[in-house]
Amino acid sequence: MKSEESGSPQDDVSVATMKDRRQQMELTFPSDFKYLGAVDAAIQDLAREFAFSQSSINDLSAALIEACSNAIEHGNKFSKRKRVRVVLGFNGGSLSACVYDQGAGFDYDKILGRSLPPEPISERGRGLMIMQAFTDELNFKYVAKKGLCVELVKVDKDSATKAEGGEAG
Amino acid sequence: MKITQREVGNAVVLDLNGKLTGGPDAETFREVFKSLIDRGKKNIVVNLEKVSWINSTGLGILISGYTSVRRGGGDLVIMHASDRIESILYVTKLNLLFKSYESEESALTAFDEK
Repeated sequence: MKSEESGSPQDDVSVATMKDRRQQMELTFPSDFKYLGAVDAAIQDLAREFAFSQSSINDLSAALIEACSNAIEHGNKFSKRKRVRVVLGFNGGSLSACVYDQGAGFDYDKILGRSLPPEPISERGRGLMIMQAFTDELNFKYVAKKGLCVELVKVDKDSATKAEGGEAG
Repeated sequence: MKITQREVGNAVVLDLNGKLTGGPDAETFREVFKSLIDRGKKNIVVNLEKVSWINSTGLGILISGYTSVRRGGGDLVIMHASDRIESILYVTKLNLLFKSYESEESALTAFDEK
């Protein structure tokens, strides 16, 4: 891995893979929007590998980009010293993404309690709408020793069928 | 994000290239729209053909441009939005705010209707 000041965005993204019953891949990158393209590329590639439909891939990517954007902006507040960590997991037809930041945490009950959509010309407040609309599950949870995680889960029926038949995974 | 401007008839087309994600792009956009309004340009088409995706901060940039132009008595429409971008506009209900066109020719008719 190179320093944050040099190299292409991809050079600053570390990828670790772990193969077991539930396959996982981890991405860690600095708090800068320029790395979102690498996140998109990773999820597109991984979901395709597990035979997800392009529609499901695009949905999950839109939600993940949003969660990472929030982690960069609201969690790490664009601090170059802080990183965003994404743990991607595949489990029999569903892909999950846990997004961790190094911020002070947030009151997710308050965020989930927002019942009204933003005003049409409001420039903010659509991140949660995007994450909810494009995933089958959206969870905010505390993971011991790891911190607060925004977990996104997307189920792809075609991929699940293939996984059961031993074609993927 | 790269922005190229070109004048077509009574409109200005902004050709965007890259990912619309906010950050430094927000200030670039603000300057572009301020310059357009200062020059009396009221009819704006944002060409999203080379924008692969957008996040909520990027949507905020588009909305900011829209409100600036509308305040100046003009209008802003979009064209060539990908399926990914169209679906994000739909779930955020911004499809009700932005008129979206599949071609430049049809986008330019938005300003003839007035």
